[in-house]
Amino acid sequence: MSSVDATRLAIDAREVTKTFRSGWFRRRETAALRGVSLQVERGMIFGLLGPNGAGKTTLLSILATLLVPDGGVARVLGLDVTRDATALRRRLNMASGRPSFLWSLRVDEIIAFYGRLYGLSGARLRRQVDALIEQYELTSYRKAQYNELSTGLKQRVALAKALINDPELLFLDEPTLGLDPDVSVRVRRHVADLRREQGMTIVLTTHYMREAEELCDEIGFIKAGRILAQGTADALKRQMGLGYVVALKLEPRPAWLAEAPGVLRCVDAGDGWIDCTVDDPEKRVPELLRAFMKEGVEVRNLQVREPELEEVFVELAR
Amino acid sequence: MSWRAELLPTYAVAARNLVMGVRNVFFFFELLFWPIVGVLSIGLMTRFLGLTPEQGAFVLVGTLALSIVNVCQLEVAYAMLLDVWSKSVKHQFMAPIRIRHLTVGSWLIGVLRGFVIFVLLAALAAWAFDFHVLRPGVVAVTAFLAGCFLTSLVVGVFVCALVTLFGTRAEAFAWASVNLVLVLAGIYYPVSVLPKPVAAIAAAIPLTYFLDAYRSHFGFRSEFAAPVTTGLALSAVYVVLAHWAFRAAIERARQTGLLLKMSE
Repeated sequence: MSSVDATRLAIDAREVTKTFRSGWFRRRETAALRGVSLQVERGMIFGLLGPNGAGKTTLLSILATLLVPDGGVARVLGLDVTRDATALRRRLNMASGRPSFLWSLRVDEIIAFYGRLYGLSGARLRRQVDALIEQYELTSYRKAQYNELSTGLKQRVALAKALINDPELLFLDEPTLGLDPDVSVRVRRHVADLRREQGMTIVLTTHYMREAEELCDEIGFIKAGRILAQGTADALKRQMGLGYVVALKLEPRPAWLAEAPGVLRCVDAGDGWIDCTVDDPEKRVPELLRAFMKEGVEVRNLQVREPELEEVFVELAR
Repeated sequence: MSWRAELLPTYAVAARNLVMGVRNVFFFFELLFWPIVGVLSIGLMTRFLGLTPEQGAFVLVGTLALSIVNVCQLEVAYAMLLDVWSKSVKHQFMAPIRIRHLTVGSWLIGVLRGFVIFVLLAALAAWAFDFHVLRPGVVAVTAFLAGCFLTSLVVGVFVCALVTLFGTRAEAFAWASVNLVLVLAGIYYPVSVLPKPVAAIAAAIPLTYFLDAYRSHFGFRSEFAAPVTTGLALSAVYVVLAHWAFRAAIERARQTGLLLKMSE
């Protein structure tokens, strides 16, 4: 990696492989990563999407120095994840959507414990703990033991802990999993603020496509241990050639609609709506409207929209 | 390496273990109930069997060692076990912490708890059975306690390595191992009564020498030359070996993914 890349890229992984082996007598091998290459620029929110078992957590764990890769090279913030792991750990942190900490420790004790592990002490530690408790609206729960907290509060503690060392790179593993919608919105807002105000690089995995689309500057799709596509949400939609969706409410519904020129497919979307995917809406919508008028089909409603990221996901996961 | 960078994470681990210990509902049983039950039952048994005061002291020294080593090694093992039980292992090992911070931090609390138990049991033994731990002198008592605490450190760190290698499956073995060490070290008897091959194993255990040295002050002939020095030298070797094993276990867990499996 050139020195220019080292300052520009937060993550530069090339051909990273990882195979898990299990069983004493009958050895079983599971290839989790089969040559993953990934570049993430500094200051970016990067979303890693993929079906269960695709290798998201394995990749995140390698980048976070929790797992040693079998092959390839992974550099994070310019440091090698295997050789420079100790130096790298000071500059990273991680929170997951299924957090777990010592059950009897209180909220402030958990954050302070990890703060000390990252070298904070005295007034600086107290200030940092207080600020995070306030930022994540944990003031009323400051002295509550971890096992007394709700799922949402636990996740807020995990996020506060993950920021105790002001990391340059933050890994978020499904940060809004199981949260109430209003809490999810607040968490997403916090994540966006972290990037905007502190220039933090954030890598997150999520199953919520809307979350990825809303937060991420770039998205990588991983499946069966390989990155299948990487780019902005718009670029991915274009790259996949999914076309645009023309949603129609027609009376009566013409039988020829799915076979019309430029119409890739039509599906019944319920409540009288038909979603037709077309290759070029600017050309096909006028054509369709002329055909409907000619045949006396009444157009009661019409909407044109881009395909959802979810459709890209479904296409890639297929 | 700065002292601050060494002391801070060690203090963090020690403070965490102390808080977890104090809030543990079994804390009372670990700290008071079982040790007191142990000294009372063994002390009363020595009366029933009509042992001489020296023989009684021999057995009670073993009972004290048993209580101290059990509590202290458990506390060292908590360095790993607390995070395994709470499934927070990955947070600990994502932080820039060294193995020695974990083990020494936990051990310090183990030493504190072990010392409190020792004082309580010593007072009880003096009151109930006229057994005075300070009779051999402060130096002898210090050497005995050092032996108990160093043995606890070695056993505890090996337990951490086993748990890191095999996960919670290793827990049962971990609990059994300390009792095996105590049995082999001649907890209630001189190691000379053990079969020859077993006595050879006993000779490789540091606690054997510390028990022997302390008991020699109660009228029993020492079975070893320079037992305290031998015990300290063996302890030093085992402390290094145990830390090497723990470090190797963590590296392996990073390879196999067990570190993640033991996390949320």
